[in-house]
Amino acid sequence: MYGNSTPQQALAKPPLPGGEKDSGGYANLPFTKVPGWYGTIAWDALLNGMATGLFMAAAFSELAAPAIFTPVAKVAYPVALVLLLVDLGLLVSDLGDPLRFHHMLRVFKPRSPMSVGTWCLTIFSLPLTAAAALSLLAEMGPLLPIKIDFEWPRILAVIAGLLPAFGSAAYKGVLLSTNAQPGWKDARWMGGYLTNSALLIGCGELLVLSALMGRTQAAAILRIAFIVLLILNLIPLGLLFSDLQPTHARLYTRKQEWRAGVLIFAGGTLIPLALTLFNGGLLFLFASVIFLLLGSWVIRFVYVKIPHTAPLEIRSRVV
Amino acid sequence: MASRERHLSGLLQTSDPPRGLISEVVHRLIYPFQRGEAPKPQTPTGFYTDTTICIGCKACEVACKQWNQLPADGFNWSGNSYDNTAELSATTWRHVKFVEQFSDAWSSDRASLDFAPDVPDHNRWLMMSDHCKHCLAAPCHQACPTGAIIHNEFENVYIQADICNGCSCCVASCPFGVITRDNVGGHSHKCTLCYDRQRDGLEPACAKACPTQSIHFGPIDELREQARQRVEELHRRGVTQAYLYGDAPSQTYSEMHSFYLLVDRPSVYGLPDNPFNPWLHMMGDYARSIAGGVVAIAALLVVVLLLRS
Repeated sequence: MYGNSTPQQALAKPPLPGGEKDSGGYANLPFTKVPGWYGTIAWDALLNGMATGLFMAAAFSELAAPAIFTPVAKVAYPVALVLLLVDLGLLVSDLGDPLRFHHMLRVFKPRSPMSVGTWCLTIFSLPLTAAAALSLLAEMGPLLPIKIDFEWPRILAVIAGLLPAFGSAAYKGVLLSTNAQPGWKDARWMGGYLTNSALLIGCGELLVLSALMGRTQAAAILRIAFIVLLILNLIPLGLLFSDLQPTHARLYTRKQEWRAGVLIFAGGTLIPLALTLFNGGLLFLFASVIFLLLGSWVIRFVYVKIPHTAPLEIRSRVV
Repeated sequence: MASRERHLSGLLQTSDPPRGLISEVVHRLIYPFQRGEAPKPQTPTGFYTDTTICIGCKACEVACKQWNQLPADGFNWSGNSYDNTAELSATTWRHVKFVEQFSDAWSSDRASLDFAPDVPDHNRWLMMSDHCKHCLAAPCHQACPTGAIIHNEFENVYIQADICNGCSCCVASCPFGVITRDNVGGHSHKCTLCYDRQRDGLEPACAKACPTQSIHFGPIDELREQARQRVEELHRRGVTQAYLYGDAPSQTYSEMHSFYLLVDRPSVYGLPDNPFNPWLHMMGDYARSIAGGVVAIAALLVVVLLLRS
């Protein structure tokens, strides 16, 4: 019953003055220490989804229907690279000693989600850079003095980037759920939600790019895909909320819970869905994706905030 | 003499960092990847802390700070009994906890020396010197992405200060709240179980300083046996609530190389009643993460393939 004690020893409960509630001491203090992650990590989780999601959405769409999606994908890869670089900048700046960021590469530990993520992001950055550079070179083709076919190397780079991109998207939720922090440790579907959300965000970004570039067929297909993914994303989101319901119940009043739930559901799903269904114009699609990003950021921020709420641990132990 | 000192300080030592910007940058980039020869495994060692004989003198705290050259925490009142350190931190690797368990009537009853209580007296102090648990399957060790946290040759959990980059994964994963990131250097620190002293055949400073031998240091198997005998002895003497915490593995947590003899619930001492290793969830969490992504990719592909013509 207690810790690692043998049952015979542990079953002997001491008599306490004033009963169990009055045992005093450290019973009402938190066991765990909060890591120095806060707002930066919420932005990191969002940018990670934006970069990996955009790359995967562009890559899969291009590989499935190259005639329709190749022009959009060629713009998407450089955008994904910029997003990834900003994300990596945030990750490095969040370290206690940023100048030692490369120490993460001295070992590979499959049992450490951070190690898996670091290696996936590092490997992903290489084909993504290649795909982005080759896309730009292909666009500059007529201006180059010699004619070189960049298409096959570019496609190879895109294919090579798929697995590490998926790994980069998938590790983040596991990193946040595999620890001892109150709330985080109960979020079994955090990884499922974040990976699914990355594809949704990526699809939204690709949709806006298609609309911006006037690629009507690509935009029409992605609009349908975006609607499907928006609805599909409600499943892992619901499961995540179900995981965190006991935590939310201890953190917030019933009214606050409903208000936050409605805000996230309406702002992050219903409004984008309504805007996308209502009109396929650039302005509506852009607004839709902005609402999606806002909703996605709020979810990540609320989740990251949980262990920073001091009374939580106390309440969780009283219940 | 002064010129001799100047001459000596000017000599380049093998441990000196390289001089010059380029040399320093190259050194910084390369040295983390250099590997020395691993020391030969030694007899696993640990701590057994018998809280029933701790008197809360804090000699262990002072000895730890002195030996490890850790700064003082200031003379603050925490409002919690005689505890002025409040918690383990990057600069406090030993923390003496004070638990006052007294009924409200106790102080007035004891005003008269002639008073003889009719009921057994359970009013008491509990004191405990807390520190890193040196878990056999340590979540901090599993979480560390740099390999800075290792099990050394004595099977103690040790942070290599020159490798840690302050990512805080260990802080998030420790269920006991032991490891803390230092605000000054940005690296994580905790009890080393006086690795340097052990290598020289000495016992850790805290155990050496403990005047009541509440802190026992030695080979872990011997400590376990010693602790079990002590529990049996306490049971024979009527302290039936005595038990060991962390001496053996549970379903959710490994054994610890620093374990305790307690007489109240673990949470009273600020220890989790049922410690849980977060890594037990890892494979399932990865499976859900992959499933979430695969379903989204499948949906995207289906829509694209159906509508491309």
